[in-house]
Amino acid sequence: MSQIANPITRPVFFRYRIWDVVGRYLLMVLLALLLFGVILLISGKDPIQSYKDIFSSTLGSVYGFSEVLVAMIPMLITALAVALPSRVGLINVGGEGQLYIGAAFATWGALTFKDLPAWALLSLMVLLGMIGGAFWAFIPGYLKAIGLVNETITTLLLNSVAPKIIGFLIFGFWHSPMDTVKTANFVPAARLPAFLGTRVHLGLVIALALLLLFWLVMKYTRWGLEMRSIWGNPQAAKRNGIPINTYWITIMCLGGAIAGLAGMVQVSGFYGVLLLNFSMGLGFMGFLISWLAAGDPFGIFLMSFVVAMITTGGNLLQLTHDLPYAVINILLAFTLFVVLARPTLIKGKKA
Amino acid sequence: MSLLSILGVLSSAIFSGTSLLYTTLGEVIDERSGIVNLGLEGVLLVSAAAGFAVTSWSGNPFLGVFTALLAGGLMNLILGYLVIHRQANQLASGLALMFFGFGLSALIGKSYVGTKINALPRIPLPGLSGLPHLYTSLFSFDLLIYLSIPAAFLVSWLLFRTRWGLSLRAVGENAETAFASGRNPRLIRYQALFIGGLLAGLGAAHLSLAYTMTWTEYMTAGRGFIAVALVIFSKWHPVRAIAGALLFSGAVAFQLLLQSSGVQISPFLLDTIPYLITLLVLIAWGGTRKQSAPASLGRIYYGTE
Amino acid sequence: MNQKIFYTVTAIVMSSVLLLAACAPAATPAPPEAPTAIPTEVPTAVPTEPPTAAPVEVATEVPTTVPTAAGPCLTIGALYGGPITDAGYNEAMHESVMAIKQNIACVEIIEAENVPDEAGATTTMENMIQQGAQMIIATAFNHQYPALTLSQSHPDVIFEHAGGWEMGANFANFFGEPPDAWYLMGVAAGKMTTSNKLGFVAAFPLGWTLTFINAFELGAQSVNPDVQTIVAYTFSWGDRAKEADTTNSLINQGVDVITMHVDSPSTVLSTAESRGVYSIGFQSLAAQQFAPEYWISGTGYTLGDKLTWLASTVIDGTWEPIFLRCGMADGCMAVAPFGAKVPAEVQDYVNQVRADLEAGNIIVFKGPILDQDGNVKVAEGEELTDDMMSSVDWFVKGVVGSPK
Repeated sequence: MSQIANPITRPVFFRYRIWDVVGRYLLMVLLALLLFGVILLISGKDPIQSYKDIFSSTLGSVYGFSEVLVAMIPMLITALAVALPSRVGLINVGGEGQLYIGAAFATWGALTFKDLPAWALLSLMVLLGMIGGAFWAFIPGYLKAIGLVNETITTLLLNSVAPKIIGFLIFGFWHSPMDTVKTANFVPAARLPAFLGTRVHLGLVIALALLLLFWLVMKYTRWGLEMRSIWGNPQAAKRNGIPINTYWITIMCLGGAIAGLAGMVQVSGFYGVLLLNFSMGLGFMGFLISWLAAGDPFGIFLMSFVVAMITTGGNLLQLTHDLPYAVINILLAFTLFVVLARPTLIKGKKA
Repeated sequence: MSLLSILGVLSSAIFSGTSLLYTTLGEVIDERSGIVNLGLEGVLLVSAAAGFAVTSWSGNPFLGVFTALLAGGLMNLILGYLVIHRQANQLASGLALMFFGFGLSALIGKSYVGTKINALPRIPLPGLSGLPHLYTSLFSFDLLIYLSIPAAFLVSWLLFRTRWGLSLRAVGENAETAFASGRNPRLIRYQALFIGGLLAGLGAAHLSLAYTMTWTEYMTAGRGFIAVALVIFSKWHPVRAIAGALLFSGAVAFQLLLQSSGVQISPFLLDTIPYLITLLVLIAWGGTRKQSAPASLGRIYYGTE
Repeated sequence: MNQKIFYTVTAIVMSSVLLLAACAPAATPAPPEAPTAIPTEVPTAVPTEPPTAAPVEVATEVPTTVPTAAGPCLTIGALYGGPITDAGYNEAMHESVMAIKQNIACVEIIEAENVPDEAGATTTMENMIQQGAQMIIATAFNHQYPALTLSQSHPDVIFEHAGGWEMGANFANFFGEPPDAWYLMGVAAGKMTTSNKLGFVAAFPLGWTLTFINAFELGAQSVNPDVQTIVAYTFSWGDRAKEADTTNSLINQGVDVITMHVDSPSTVLSTAESRGVYSIGFQSLAAQQFAPEYWISGTGYTLGDKLTWLASTVIDGTWEPIFLRCGMADGCMAVAPFGAKVPAEVQDYVNQVRADLEAGNIIVFKGPILDQDGNVKVAEGEELTDDMMSSVDWFVKGVVGSPK
C-alpha cells in the first residue's frame, strides 16, 4: 500500500492504516456507483431505487447477507491463489484452469470413496483438490523456471484446456444416469456442511484460515522475507543463495493448489455436483481482486466482499427492473476501472 | 468420407475462422505495440451486439458492420486509457474490460435477442456456378470472408513495410528507446489499439451478422481468448495467423465430421488439440525468445513526464 | 492530505446514508413491484397458433377472481434458462406463462430470463418468493433440484417444474408430450427427403433427446424404410456458432432435411435455409420465420391452457401435485403450418397420420423395436412408458451417431 503521509500532521484518528484502506476503497466504490447510476438513467431505470434494491437484498436481510458470504468464499481463495505467486513476481492467471482440475480431482475422490465418513472424505477431497490444482500449475511453473515460456501465456492456454477435460470426464465416465451434463449428486459425507440453514458453508472457515495463514507467513516467517526479496530483485536474491527456480516452481504449485482447493470448495460446499462450466470467471475474478488489493490479505477480504455484494445484489435487479442480469457486470467493471485508474495508490507493489 | 464432407470441413473452417482471423489480426497489432488485451471477449461481444442492433433497426447489414467496427475501436480505447494514461496493469485492465463487455453487450442487445435480420449477402466464389447447389452453397462467401485474407496481408504490409509499423514494433520492443529516438510511444499505442479494435469489430460483425445471424448473450464463447492464443501460435505474424485460424476452426469442423462418422473419440478431447499444439509450438520455439514476442509485451511504459 | 481526510469522511458518511436507506425498507416486506418485468413487445412474425382442443378434464371456464384491494389474486414467478425472445424453448414457455395472465386478468407475473444454472436459479426463486410469489414456474431442465430444495423450505409456495420427474407435497411437474409430434415430423421428413438422409442437431445425449430422435426416425421409416437420421451434438444448449457448424457438417454429409433439439432453432434454421435444405422446427412456433422457403413443418410447446388451469387451482385452493403431461390431442403440442414447398398430398398424408396419432391408432414406441446393433429393445406387444422414455440410452436402427 502506499505510504501514509507524514504522521505528525495527521490527526490520531487517521494514523491507522485501516482508515486509509477503507476510505480509499469506499470512495472508489462510490464513484463506480455514480457511473453505473448514469447507465441506469440512460436505460430509463431509476438508479436510486435500484441501489436501494441492491443494498436491501444483500445487507438488509439475513438471507441476503448469507448469499453475499457464499459468493465471497471462492473469490477469497482464488484471490489468494494469485496473491501468493505474485509475491515472487509470478503472474498466475491460470486460476480458472487450476480450479477446474482441482474440482475434478476432488470429484473423483467424492465419487470413488463414497463410503468414507465425512471427516475422512472431506479431508481427502481437500488434499485431492490441492494436488489437482498444483499439478495444473506445475507445467507453467516448470516452463517458467527453465526460462522457456512466460507463465502468463501458459496459464492462459491451460485455462481453456481444463474445462474441456472436465467435459470429457463428466461425459465419458461420471455422468449421472438422468443428466449427461453433470455427475451424480455427491453423498452427504462429501459435502462441506453449511451453517444455520443458510448456504454458507465450511469453505468460509477454510478461506479465512488461509487468509490468516498467508498474512502470518508473509509477515513473520523467513520464507515471507525471502519471497519478497525475490520479487524485488531476482538476480540479487539468486546471488544471495536463494534458490529462485525452486521457489518459482514451488510457489506456482502452491498457488495452483490453493486454486484447486477453491474448486473443491465450490463443488463440495456450494454445488454438491460437478457440472460443466461451473466457474463463471471465478479464477479471473480472483486475479482481479488480488491485483486490486495488491496482494494484501485485508484488501482481498474487502474487495471480495464488495464484488460479492455487487454480483449478489444484481440478481434482484433483473426481477424488479427488467434488466438482464449480465448488466451487473457493468457496475463490477466500473468498480474495477475506477480502482485500476489510480495506480499511484498501489505503485511500488506490482508493475 | 466423401469429397463433399472434406470440402465441407474446409468451408466450415473458413466460415468459422474468419471472425477469429480478424480478431487475431487486431490483437497482433496490439501486442506488437506491447499491449496484451485480455478483454477481447468483451470487445467482441459489444461490437457484435452493437452491429446486430443497428442492422436489426436499420435493415442494412453494412451499416451494422460499420457500427461494429467503431464499437470495437472505442472499446479498445478504454483499455488504452487505462493502460497508457493511467498506467494500470494490462492483464487486470483487460479482464475488467471483459466484464464491462459482458454487461454492456447484454444491455445493448437485450431488445434484439432472437430477431431476424438481413444477414450479409453471400456471393458464390466466381467460377463455381456450374456445380450443384450443394457445392456452391459451401463456397458462397460474404464480403468479410473475401476481405479477410487481403486484410492479413494488409496488416503485414502495415507492420513490416511502413514507417508507422516500424515505430510500432520499436515501441513494442522497448518503449523507452523508441521514445529516445523521437517516437511517441503513447500515441502509437493508442493508434495500435484503435486499429486493433476496428479489426476485432470486423470479426465480431462477421460472427453475428454473417455466420450465426443472431445475437445472444455470451455468444462469442471464448473466441477472444482463442485469439490471444492464436497470436502466440502465429508468432506475432499476421500472415501466419491465417494458418492458425484455419487450424483452430478446422479442428472444430473436423471433430464434427468424426462425430457423425461414428468415430468415438470424445469431442472434448478433440477440442483441446489446438491449444495443446499451441503449447507445443511455444515450447519448441520459445515464447520469450527475442525473435518472437515483443520484448515489452505487458510492461507498463512509465514514460519520462 | 487534508483532501484525503475529507474524502474519507465523505465516503464514510455517504455509505452510512446508503446503508440506512437500505435497512429502512427491509423492515417491511417489500411490496411486489408493478410487474415492469412483463415484456410487452411480441415478436411480430409469430404465427399465433390457437390451441385447437380444450383439455378434456379441465374446466376451462376459469373462475375470474376479482382482484381484491389488497393486490393481485396470485403472484407467479417464472424463470427461464435463456432469453424469452429466442424463438425457441424459452419463448414457448414464456408465451405459455403469459397465457395465464391473458386468461386470468388479476394474476401478476414476475419473470427472470437467462437463469441457466442451478446456483442462479436458487437465488432467483428465493428473490421471487421474497417479492411475494406464491407460485413458481421453473422451466429449465436444471431448475428441478433447486426448486425441489426450495419447496422444502417454503411449504406455502407451489412449485411447478417443466419436464422433470420429482414430486413433493408442494412440488409437481408438467410438460408436453413431444414423441408423438416428433413421429409426425418424421413422417413429413420421410416424405420430403430425396437423399434419404435426415439430419438432427442435438445439444446433449439426454434421454429425452434420444427419444425424440428415435420417434423422428420411426416416423420417417414408416413412409420410407431406407431413410437414415444422422445425429450430431453441439454439447451446449445455445452455442450458435457450433450450431451453424454442426448444421453445415450434416448438410455436407448429404442430409437434405434438418431438425434440432437445442434451445433455439433459429441458427440451425437460418443455416439450413442458406444452404437450400429443408428444415423442421422445434420448440416454438415462432421458428418458421427463420426458414421462409424450405420450411416443412414444426412442432412446439403450447402449454398456456394447462398452466392457466394449474394457476386457477392454486387460486381457489384445490391444487394438488400431479404429474401433468399432455400431447397433441390436448393442444399442448402444436403443429405448425406447412411450408410453401410441401405438396398437397404430403400435407394430406401427414394430417391423416396426425389424426391417427391423436385417436390412439398409432403408438410410436410399440414393439418390436430394434436398436442400432440389432438388439430388441422393445419386445413384441410391449410399449415404452414415460419413465422409460426419459432414460433411453440407445438409438433405433436407422439412426447414425452415438447415443452416449
